[in-house]
Order: sequence, then structure tokens, then C-alpha cells
Amino acid sequence: MSFRNIALASAFGAASLAIPSIAAADFPSDNPIRLVSPYGAGGAVDIAGRILSSVSGEFLDTRVDVVSLSGAGGQEAIEFVSSSEPDGYTLLITDYGPLVTTALREDVGYELEDWIPLVQITEVAPIFFARADSDYTSIEALIEAAQAAPDTISVGHGRHLSVPHLPLILLEAEADFSTIHLPTTGGSQALAFVLGGQVDIGASVPSTIQGGVDDGSLVALAVAAAERVTSMPDVPTLRELGYDVVLPAWYTIFAHRDVPEDRRAILEERILAALASEPALALGTRTGTDVQPLGAEASQTAYQTTIENLTAILDQIDE
Amino acid sequence: MIEFLAEASALAFAPEVIFFACLGIFVGLTVGAIPGLSGDMAIAVLLPFVFVLEPTAALGLLVGIYKGSMFGGSISAITFGVPGTAGAAATVIDGYQAKLAGKPNRALHTALYSSLIGDTTSDLILIFLALPLALVALKFGPVEFFALYVVSLTLVAALTMGQVARGIAAAALGIMLAMIGRDPITGSQRLTFGMPELSGGIGLIPLLVGVFAVSEIMVQIGRLWASRRLAQTKTKEEAAEQPYDPSKDKMDWPTFRSTLGATMLGTGMGTFIGALPGAGASLAAFMSYGLAQRLSRRPQDFGKGSLEGVAAAEAGNSATAGATFIPLFAFGIPGSATAALFGAALIMMGITPGPTMMQSNMGIIYALFIILIYANLANLIISKVLLPVYSRLAMIQPRFVLPIVLGLAILGTYAAGNSVKDVWMLLAAGVLGVGLRWFSVPLGPLVLGFIVGPGLEESLRQALMLGRNDWTHLVTSPLALGIYLGTVALLIGFWLFTRSRRPDNRVPTKGGAA
Repeated sequence: MSFRNIALASAFGAASLAIPSIAAADFPSDNPIRLVSPYGAGGAVDIAGRILSSVSGEFLDTRVDVVSLSGAGGQEAIEFVSSSEPDGYTLLITDYGPLVTTALREDVGYELEDWIPLVQITEVAPIFFARADSDYTSIEALIEAAQAAPDTISVGHGRHLSVPHLPLILLEAEADFSTIHLPTTGGSQALAFVLGGQVDIGASVPSTIQGGVDDGSLVALAVAAAERVTSMPDVPTLRELGYDVVLPAWYTIFAHRDVPEDRRAILEERILAALASEPALALGTRTGTDVQPLGAEASQTAYQTTIENLTAILDQIDE
Repeated sequence: MIEFLAEASALAFAPEVIFFACLGIFVGLTVGAIPGLSGDMAIAVLLPFVFVLEPTAALGLLVGIYKGSMFGGSISAITFGVPGTAGAAATVIDGYQAKLAGKPNRALHTALYSSLIGDTTSDLILIFLALPLALVALKFGPVEFFALYVVSLTLVAALTMGQVARGIAAAALGIMLAMIGRDPITGSQRLTFGMPELSGGIGLIPLLVGVFAVSEIMVQIGRLWASRRLAQTKTKEEAAEQPYDPSKDKMDWPTFRSTLGATMLGTGMGTFIGALPGAGASLAAFMSYGLAQRLSRRPQDFGKGSLEGVAAAEAGNSATAGATFIPLFAFGIPGSATAALFGAALIMMGITPGPTMMQSNMGIIYALFIILIYANLANLIISKVLLPVYSRLAMIQPRFVLPIVLGLAILGTYAAGNSVKDVWMLLAAGVLGVGLRWFSVPLGPLVLGFIVGPGLEESLRQALMLGRNDWTHLVTSPLALGIYLGTVALLIGFWLFTRSRRPDNRVPTKGGAA
């Protein structure tokens, strides 16, 4: 190469090194942010993400697009985010199922420490429910009947070891009873089977059964959370009933650990502000999502606690 | 109630709403026609518009995309033999053969009219009979779903007369392919041979497009290459091929009337299956197709370009459109991906789908009903304008069209999953398809086996769990028994019917077999 070409190439090289630092000053307004979800479009996690995307223009200076990659049990989404550029433009939004439970059960291509929670959007409480005309309209009635006739009462609980299933396992261990655990494709199928009388009890999250509870066709038995659900204030927690089963599921936005810390801090700050805004809270209420944002530190604590709890539970049941 | 209708009409017929509905139809037709892309994807991508547009306008857009994409998939199926969407899989079987037989225009029009009838009927049933039908749908538990899937496979495996054994083998192969990936109950990996790429299983779209379209393209390329290499005069088929004569391919009243029975059958079947949460449009299409063949006066035409076959598949496919909302509106249960997306759209507007929805939101829900109906009309008009163009496109010589279609198939499949792995699966499925064609193994049962496999397995295992491993539990439900017995009766009837028409029977053939 001639001297001139080398000089030009070096100049370009030097200039391109400078560009990222210039760009950092504009982060995140260069590109849209992709919020990748391991669940199908239209679900509760998806909607939580869309609440953020509805106010993103004002607070993040860029669009936030919710991308749904539900293949391979949610692993596709996680793989996609890990293999993307760690520039802060591709983030993961999920609950603990695909991220933690799967990682504890099988070999996945990442470590749990690879994921840094930025903001926890909300927390959902697993909830048990039955048809209004069922024989089991309270937890006590259910436990009594199940102890009298073990393995006859059926509970539809979403996927194996999912967010509603684990509390069921814990409750049975604590109260010493056993039922037929029926895996379903999700909360909707559990709801359909309960309404149709195919199974006796269902386990899901409040948003799935809100309509049925409101119109009286369903009765909610108890929630596996520390506090009662705001939209169903009459439903007791399992703790109140004497069973120490508290296993709520958070919906949290994660960044890969390779994303530079300054960018993570900017994202945390802006997303918190966005979610605390009037329009976001109003949209939360409108969609039945209890938006209660937590910053990185508190989300990290929740994340760690969940990992510990799940490790213990899975060890207990030998998975 | 009348005031609500007035309010709903004002909302639904606003110029903005009509505009967005038509725009949605255009987008849907385009997206549906491109293999690999589906209406659901377009809806998911455009969901944020719900925040930006007026609620009714947003619903109009989404409804337009939904309806447009259903028909777009069929256009591609008939014109190029490529099922643009999963629901068009059954349409390819006879639709593409019809085009090869020189009647693409009639096939496309048959598809359009039967889609319209199926869709509109389904919408009307949604509007007036949602709750009763939803209550029937609720009666379907694991045992009943298993019966339904078994019956669908039986009907379709026996589609190709005289090749029932191959049909069943194809269905079994399809089910086996569907098992690659994760166990639906425990989630553990199986049949992945340690390859992480397979842990998600084989995608439906790569398989569908690969087995039907890519294999066809490969075969055609092979033929062209062989004939050129051997430097022979045109093959017999090519010599016999007349140039396409549009005047002989006009849609007329007698043709339409001959397909009406199949359309009605498809409409009924499609509406019913659409209302069942979890059963999909392709299942409805295949079952309608299988049933129509059993009850047709010319069953031997099926698979060779029978317009009845096209009509049944299309009506079955489109009749799921309105019905899929039935469980959503009645109970808040999304029975399909599309219903889930619409459910999300409604939630984003502050409307919770379910039993309380109607009372609190009568105006906008009735507006949605009105939009559902007139979107069909708009679809009819827009498609009717476009169809002659497509018929001409259909008859362009293969060597110009094939590379473009192959390119689109690859692009669309890549774009759908954003991964090269899907493209490899597409090509592998193409090779599989070539092999299947070589051994005269029917493709329809394979695809249905693949589609139905996961549901079949899941419902069987759920049923056994509920019945505590007692296999007789599978026949304890009167509904399931009814499904099995009905199908057996149908198959026996069909067998007797075909026996009586065999030429070696000394039964005087009445004039005019049709």
C-alpha cells in the first residue's frame, strides 16, 4: 500500500475509535431499543413491556420495540440477547421461568451471573382458583378433601415447574397432601379446563382470571405472595392461612453483564423515570398491571432471592 | 340496544377506520402471500399503533391485516404452490394442481368466494351465538381433543384413495418430526441429538414451505436441467401444454354452484374448530378437505385440481376467523395466537376481554363486529381487482418464476425467525419433500401429522394423567365416543360408496357419475 493509503486508513481507524465515545454521549438515542421477551406476543410480560414502550419517546429519546421470541421454551430469546452486541440496545424482559428455572435444570449457554437486572416492572402473585360451583371454594376445603382422597383432585397449573406450579409443589409439601398435577399449555388452558369442569382447581396469575372472578364464575382461593392482590382484596394470602408459601414472580428488564456499566446506569435511571410517570401508571391500571418499579439494586436482591429459593425447591423435588 | 348500534356504526364507518381497514387488507394480502411471513407477525409488529390511533381505527387495521393475510396465503398457495400461511396448507393440494391444469382463475375465484362465505358466516356466529358455542367448546377437554386429533389424522391419511397405508405412514412421520425438540409435559429435550439448534424443534413454516414449495421447485429445476442436458425435444407434457387461454378459465355460476356444498361443509367445520381453543386454522382446513372428499360425488378428483377441494379447504380455513374470538370474548381465553394478539390490543385499550367485556364496552365491541363484516366486503372488492393479475402471474413460465419464488421463500423464512437455522431447515425439508414425491408418499398427511402431533401427544398424556393411566378413560366421554363413532360411520359409508362404483362390479353405471 502506498504511504498515502496507509495514512488514510490510519486516520479512518483513529476516527472510528473515537466514534463510540461520541455515540455514548447520545445513548440511547441512536437506535431503537429492543426489549426481547421469551413469551408469545399478547401475554402479560409482553404487555408490561409495551407499557414502557408507550412512554419511551419522552424518557428514553428513542423507540422501545417489544420483540417476542418464544421458541425453544424461551431460550431463543435469551440466546438472541446474549449473542447481540452488548451496547445496551438489546435487553431482555422476562420472569424467572425461562431464565432461572431452565438454567437450574439443564445445561444452557449462559450463567445466571451473566444477567444484570436493571429495573423490575412489577410482581405477579401465583393464585389458586376454582369454578364458583366447585366443592373446593377454600384452601382448607381443598386440603381436607385431598388428604382424605390423595391423588384424585386435579390441578391445572400451566407448564411443568412454571410460576404457578412451584407454589403448588411447596404448598403440598408444607400441608402434606397430594393432587394430580396437570400440566397445561399455559394459564389460558388451565382456565378453560377449570371452567369446563375438566380439572377441579387451577393455578395461574391474577390477570388470567380477573374477568372470571369479576363476573362471579370463578372463585379465587389464595395467593402465594406476601400481600394480597390489589384487584382482588378479598383473597387471602397463603401466609395468612398458615402456610408459608411466598413465591411471587417478577417481570424484570435485564441487560447482559457485558453492557458497559455507564450505559446500564443510564438505562436504569431513564426506565425508572418512565415507569413512574403518570401515563405509564395510568396505562398500567388500564391494563391490569400493577406497575411498581424497582431499581437495579432492589431488583438484584429479588433476583438473587429467587435463585436461592428455586435452587432449594428444585433440590427438594429432585429436578 | 339501538343507541349502541347507532354509536357503533358511527365509530365503525368513520372514514379513518375504513381507510385503515383497507390499508390493513393490502398489508395483509402482501404479507400473507410471502411465504414465511404471516398476518400474526404483522399484527404483532403493528400492535404499538394501538397507542397512536383511535381504538376503532387500530382495530380496523388489525382486522384488515388478519383477513387479508388469510387470503394472501391462499393466493400464493394456488399461484405458486407455496402455502403463504399455515392455514393455506390444505389449499395447496388441489389449488396448485388446478393451476397446473390451466384453471388458476377459477381456482382463485373459488377460493375467494368460499373464503368470503366462510368468514362472514363465522363472524355472524361470533356476533349472535358466541356464548352457546363457547359453552360447547368448553366441554372439550384432553379426552375430546385427543379424539378430534385422531379423527382428523384418520380422515386425512385416507385422502389419497388406494394409498391409505402410505397416508398413515406419512402422518406418522409427521408426528415424529413434531416430536423433535421438547417434551410438552416435562420440557426436557428429545430427539435433538445434542444439537442445540434443534432444541426448539422444527419450525412449521420452514417445514411447510420446504416440503410443498421448495421440493416442487427442486423437482422443476431438475426437470428443466435434465431436458436441457439431454437436448431432447420437448417432453410430452410440455408439448401437450396449451398456452393459457383466459377465456376458457372464466368463473361462472354452474362452477360456483358445484362448489357450494363443499363451501358449506368447510364453513361448518371451520367455525366449530375455530371456536375450540388450541385447534388451529390448518386443522380446520384439512378436516374440511377430508370431510368434503368423503361426501363428494367426485372424490377421485381430489388431489388433481378439484375446485371442491379448494372450496372446502378455503372455507374451513376462513371460517376460523370469526370463531377464534369466541373463547376470548366469552371467557377471556385466547384460543389462538391471533386471538391473543387481539386480546392484547383490547387490553392496551383498557378493555379486558372476557365475560364483563360486553356490558362495559358495548359501543366499541359492536363497532368491532361491524368492522369484521365490512372488512370481508372490502377484501372481496380489493381481491377481485387483484385476482386477474395473479392469474396471469400464475401462468408465467416456470423458469422465470421459480427463482423468484425460491428467493422469496428463503427471505421470508429467514425474516420470520431471524435465524439462518430456519433456512437450513427449509432446504432440508425441501430435500425431504423431493424424497417423498419420489416414493409417492402424500404430503398432506405428513403436514397434518406435524401440525397435530404436539396437541395429540399433549392431550393424550393429559387424559392419561387425569384418568390415572387408565386407557379406557379415553372413551368414557360421550362427546369423544360420539366423535369416534361418527367418524367410523363416515368411513364405512365412504368405503361402501366407493365399492359400489368400482368398474369391476357388475353394477350398471348410471349416466353421469357427477
